Amino acid sequence: MTESGWPAAFRTLQPFLGWALATEAERTQKRQTSEMADIQAFYNAMLSHLEDILVYLNQFPLEHMPPHARQLMDMTFSLAEIAPAVELFGQPREDDTFDPFRFVPQHQ
Amino acid sequence: MKDRQPTGTGEHAAPDRSDDRWNDKYPYLGTAPIPIEPYISREYFTLERERIFRKVWLNVGRIERIPNPGDYIVVALPVCRTSVVVVRGKDGYLHAFHNMCSHRGNKIVWDHKGSCQNFTCKFHGWSYGLDGRLTFIPDEQGFCGLQKDKLGLTPVAVDTWAGFIFIHLDPHPTETLRAYLAEVVPGLEGYPFPELSATRFCWRTEIKANWKIAQDAFQEGYHLPVRHKATAAGAFTSGTNPHCHFLSLDLYERHRRTSSYGNLNYQPTPVAGRAYQFGSSVVVDRDITLDNLPAGVNPTRRSDWSIDTFWIFPNFSIFPSNGTYLTHQFWPITEERTIWETHTYFPKAENAGQKFSQEYSKVLLRDILMEDGTTLEHMQDVLASGAKTHMPLQHQEICVRHAYRVVEDYVGFYAGR
Ligand code: FES
Ligand SMILES: [Fe+2]
Repeated sequence: MTESGWPAAFRTLQPFLGWALATEAERTQKRQTSEMADIQAFYNAMLSHLEDILVYLNQFPLEHMPPHARQLMDMTFSLAEIAPAVELFGQPREDDTFDPFRFVPQHQ
Repeated sequence: MKDRQPTGTGEHAAPDRSDDRWNDKYPYLGTAPIPIEPYISREYFTLERERIFRKVWLNVGRIERIPNPGDYIVVALPVCRTSVVVVRGKDGYLHAFHNMCSHRGNKIVWDHKGSCQNFTCKFHGWSYGLDGRLTFIPDEQGFCGLQKDKLGLTPVAVDTWAGFIFIHLDPHPTETLRAYLAEVVPGLEGYPFPELSATRFCWRTEIKANWKIAQDAFQEGYHLPVRHKATAAGAFTSGTNPHCHFLSLDLYERHRRTSSYGNLNYQPTPVAGRAYQFGSSVVVDRDITLDNLPAGVNPTRRSDWSIDTFWIFPNFSIFPSNGTYLTHQFWPITEERTIWETHTYFPKAENAGQKFSQEYSKVLLRDILMEDGTTLEHMQDVLASGAKTHMPLQHQEICVRHAYRVVEDYVGFYAGR
């Protein structure tokens, strides 16, 4: 482990800490304003570790997540956010669809 | 963690073309095109306000949002030009009122949700108990002949079923909530709403479309292979059911229910696959155990099933699936503006893997809904052109036809014409 508690196995993900965003609104904002190349790079980096990340995170009780684990979990949520962009649309926002900023989350 | 392998077993033959000719099952609805006027007419909208929205039970949320005495939610009902406060009283019961001060009419509660001991008006400070009774008037002796006991907040009827809160603007409705919902209650009896309602996600938007245009788009699968080609078509259609035909449906006097097909051979994307592995998802579950579901959900017990829908008149729908459900509410503002609110519910996530799974499911749902949103506004944009007066509907769109009929039966717009 590094000083922050970040596991060495996931060190390659540290350049993507900008995706550790706590709310859906922030993650949507990031997806909709990012270049597809950056979204794809984040997707590739995360997907190869996803199973290990989730197994690793599952050892922490949700109410007592250490800060680095919380960051990693928020990054998995960002992966969920951008998955349709990569896997279904090939672009951040599908053509001819509703303005994502008008569909406002009432949850965090 | 579940181990999921495509089994490929249990898939039924394609729905037979002859057994899903739904118009034949409900000949009283006819097969004629339906008129466009109800979607664009201000006169029609005014009648809907008076004869539907002021006269029936309306869902305004779930009890989990207001568990303790003093907890309240505020629901905007622009169609009836009001706002309603639903609060849990000190007695533990729910009370509901028009959100309007008895003095000079200021809105009593200005936020959407909260908790309080009493309601105090932010204009001159009149104060009301959680039961709506007027309890305090500043400088009370300045008023002449005030009947304080008659100046409580104006009540609205409120009741619950399966944890869903319904209000009725008539404080003494002639029909109980139970009686109102009698047609759909047996179908949902035993569905695990309390357990599945632990995690709530909600989106809200205002769209430029009539509330029925918006709601109709969720009442048929005919558009799915076209409009949702990139997102949902793979999971909800297949070579044997390319047009997303319903597995079953029942039309009632006011409400209706449907069962939708799921493609057991659908290959999930890499991230969807991980979401299935670590939790639950609304998209077709190939390991589904139908024993978990009450008899009224997926009543034909087919394994190639994805989700049911219960349409509760006039503007509420519940979509129960395996381990998750969602709801839509369409709140009219004018004949061409609507508040659209979608909720999606999951059990309490026990770990990060389950949270990830829920996050993926809700994001995918949201992106599917984004595909619907645009169509609604484009339709409304040209419906009033007068270029067309009617819409033809096919068997798989019978819920749209039924919805039109139920609304018209209440409104009676064409009755005297
Ligand atoms: S309007 Fe509420 S106290 Fe005057
Ligand atoms: Fe749709």
